[in-house]
Amino acid sequence: MSELLEVKNLSVSFSTSSGEVQAVRNVSFSLKAGEVLAVVGESGCGKSVLCKSIMKLLPSNAKIKQGSITVNGADITAYRERDMCRLRGKLFSMVFQDPMTALNPTMTVGAQIAEAVRVREPGISKTGLRDRVMQLMDLVGIDSPGERMEQYPYHFSGGMRQRSVMAIALAGNPRILFADEPTTALDVTIQAQILDLFRDIQKKLGTATVFVTHDFGVVAGVADRVAVMYAGKIVEIGTAEEIFYDARHPYTWGLMKSLPAFSKGQDTLYTIPGMPPTLVNPPKGDVFACRNEYALEIDYQEEPPMFRVTDTHYAATWLLDERAPKVVSPVGGIKV
Amino acid sequence: MVKTAGRKFLELLLSIFFLSVIIFYIARLTPGDPLISYYGERVEKMSPEERERAEERLGLNSSVSNQYLRWLADAFHGEFGISYKYKMDVTEVIGERIGNTFILGGIGFLFIFGGSLLLGILCAWYEDRLPDHMICKMGTAVSCIPEFWLSLILILIFAVNLRWLPSSGAYTIGIKRSAADRILHLILPMTVVVAGHLWYYAYMIRNLILEEVRTDYVLLAKAKGLKKRRIMFRHCLRNTFPSYLSIMAVSVPHILGGTYIVETVFSYPGLGTLIYESARYKDYNLLMFLSLMSGALVILCNMAAQVLNERIDPRIKSENMGKAPEGIGL
Amino acid sequence: MSEKKTDGEILLDIRHLTHIFSFPKRVTVKAVNDVSFQIRRGEIFGLVGESGSGKSTIARCIMNIYRPCAGEIIYKGVNVCDLKQLRKNKRMLDTTRQLIFQDSSSSLNPRMKVCDIIEEPMRIQRTNPPRGSYRAEAEFQLYYVGMDASYLDKYPAELSGGQRQRVAIARALAMEPELLVADEPIASLDVSIQAQIVNLFRHLKKEHGFSFLFIAHDLSMVEFLCDRAGVMYKGELVETAPVKKLFENPQHPYTKRLLAAVPIPDPGRERARKGNRW
Repeated sequence: MSELLEVKNLSVSFSTSSGEVQAVRNVSFSLKAGEVLAVVGESGCGKSVLCKSIMKLLPSNAKIKQGSITVNGADITAYRERDMCRLRGKLFSMVFQDPMTALNPTMTVGAQIAEAVRVREPGISKTGLRDRVMQLMDLVGIDSPGERMEQYPYHFSGGMRQRSVMAIALAGNPRILFADEPTTALDVTIQAQILDLFRDIQKKLGTATVFVTHDFGVVAGVADRVAVMYAGKIVEIGTAEEIFYDARHPYTWGLMKSLPAFSKGQDTLYTIPGMPPTLVNPPKGDVFACRNEYALEIDYQEEPPMFRVTDTHYAATWLLDERAPKVVSPVGGIKV
Repeated sequence: MVKTAGRKFLELLLSIFFLSVIIFYIARLTPGDPLISYYGERVEKMSPEERERAEERLGLNSSVSNQYLRWLADAFHGEFGISYKYKMDVTEVIGERIGNTFILGGIGFLFIFGGSLLLGILCAWYEDRLPDHMICKMGTAVSCIPEFWLSLILILIFAVNLRWLPSSGAYTIGIKRSAADRILHLILPMTVVVAGHLWYYAYMIRNLILEEVRTDYVLLAKAKGLKKRRIMFRHCLRNTFPSYLSIMAVSVPHILGGTYIVETVFSYPGLGTLIYESARYKDYNLLMFLSLMSGALVILCNMAAQVLNERIDPRIKSENMGKAPEGIGL
Repeated sequence: MSEKKTDGEILLDIRHLTHIFSFPKRVTVKAVNDVSFQIRRGEIFGLVGESGSGKSTIARCIMNIYRPCAGEIIYKGVNVCDLKQLRKNKRMLDTTRQLIFQDSSSSLNPRMKVCDIIEEPMRIQRTNPPRGSYRAEAEFQLYYVGMDASYLDKYPAELSGGQRQRVAIARALAMEPELLVADEPIASLDVSIQAQIVNLFRHLKKEHGFSFLFIAHDLSMVEFLCDRAGVMYKGELVETAPVKKLFENPQHPYTKRLLAAVPIPDPGRERARKGNRW
């Protein structure tokens, strides 16, 4: 049993005034210990909801419609809030997008990290706690932790706050870390530092990570495997090499082609036509069909299943059906 | 510390000075005859000469500015004039009643403060579930009942039919004053005062907490495995306190002075009636003193709230100390 | 748009611009320190740097939102820092300079329809709509940015982020501006939508000769879109160069660091340069 996290046919819906929003639709994936899975997609594609639904951090109008979540061999799909409390922090933890709002403004950073440590070790002594907090701050690269731990979040810069959030997330030695766009709100140089930190910690602690982002550049730097999400579904999943050099889904092609690195020297950037569909009443067939220049007739009729490319690489597009016309990928790896 | 306290005190004096100017002029600019409260019905039969003499006696014959200067000079010597209606020193008139008001309004305020906090937390804890719905609905219903009607119904039930509680006054006349007697007299008016204000503040604190619950740091607190109770009390409640305290601070004089109807119905000798009457019947000196008192109370309460807020939220303090805030649009 | 002047004429000249924010207790922050650069007609000038480096402050000084402490901003021969000149040329300045914000979800009034948003500046300036009515004008501007008339009666909340940003651009274009100051116009958008907006900017520049001050922290977009770019660091402009030169041969160490930090969408290369980044 090497799968640390296994999600099967998960569907999550929000009930809103305009109807039921199917934010995550029939998603299956697994995560091995120590592995980094990047989840890529446009905003509103359900990547963040996916993470929060596994940790059960969604608001009360969200519901798991079907499917199962198995962590470390235990099926937690039906776990109540009380049971989840025992898992959070120890089994899995989360880092959020905006470090400016993720910390409580009226508590010292040290106290907030200490809180997280105490969850794991309730009986820890005062000096032990202090040492552990210092050690965590040191781990995430915060200089002079003894001084910094007495300070409030507003004394910290964005990058430092994100480091503090990581210290909090890592305080309980979690097996799985969910990182929800952890570098999106940061400057390029700070982003690079935080990504380095992620890799460092990955190497030191071997924490399995689900890394949510919309930036393919970031994905390339951190991911072992990549899942591409569109309109609540995983449309393609594979190792980083497979996705970057041998993508099969037209949506993945579109995303890569719209990167400026791909259009270097050209007059215009590639854009995917149209807009993502609303998830209240998704259209019949493949939801990407109306934006897909390679769409086949069957795309408007029936949803494509996950076609196997290799043992690690799957894509949900009818182009992979043996009856489909052969299409040459327009992105054969990006030449930078 | 001493320096800031001194500055605060100066601010207080200055605000009260401006307040006194505004009230003085507005009171005299509004229509009405101040003589009526002193001489009663007799005013109508007065000859112009008599009237002039009467005005001179009350110091109402010179220009408004002159009147104000005289009032100010007297006020500096601790003389706030006499009440036209009660024909006593205003401080004496107020002194008789202020204790009653503080007992009714002050204890009422404490009940409102604690009760709304409790109800608000309960609502936020059970957000969108039965207890929340019930409390909110009940609050709406009770808030719709007019105070005087509620008072009358309570009197009817508990004083007239059941004869458990007295219907009026602050104490029974004729027997020796005792604490138990006072408390018995307080129950009904206090119930009305608390019931009138409680829901509004409870609803407010519920929404303040829920606003905090929706923030990212609560999500992080959950993600690190904290229990709901700790998140609620250690994080959310603590962070709503600054806003709650500011609101409550402003509400102190509102609750203290807003007991007019209750005082009238229960014939309770407090300041609420006095404030109303002094404004209604142009009892200028009394009105001035009461207004300034409540003004000073508002300012003092706000200062107290600010000091408390600084202790709770370190950001406020650092802003006041003149450190450059981060995240300005550079 | 109106009469086109020859390319190469200097449209905006910023000379030794300095802006200091002051806070209580004599705390001051030098947000912009002695910055000078020029934008020529028909040019897209990129301004890059991390948050807090003073990019937005420059944009706001240009738009007369802040009054700079020192230096001059000469726009079409008018010193916009000089109150007298400012008052005299207010109409010209208000119409020919337009600002586009990063977050169109908060910079568009949620209670106004798209047509009202686009029409408002025209109504305020009482310009004669060349296409008959204000509404026709709004429709034209919307079409111009790639949206059709069906959006005219929608509210901002009904639009996607990219569409909202297009409406913000359409609103700016309605005044037939000559200089568009775009303060991180694409930072909050998805990659594929970013590409749409960047294409739109390119189109506007090429076909209609608009000049842009494009403020961004995404260097790859700056490389694609801009003609010249300046790098801001702690309130100072540390390097200005044509984009090609800047990216191929950066001079200032900060520029080098900035370029090295850009992630490359290629796992092989990304892994190869791990470790030797700093």
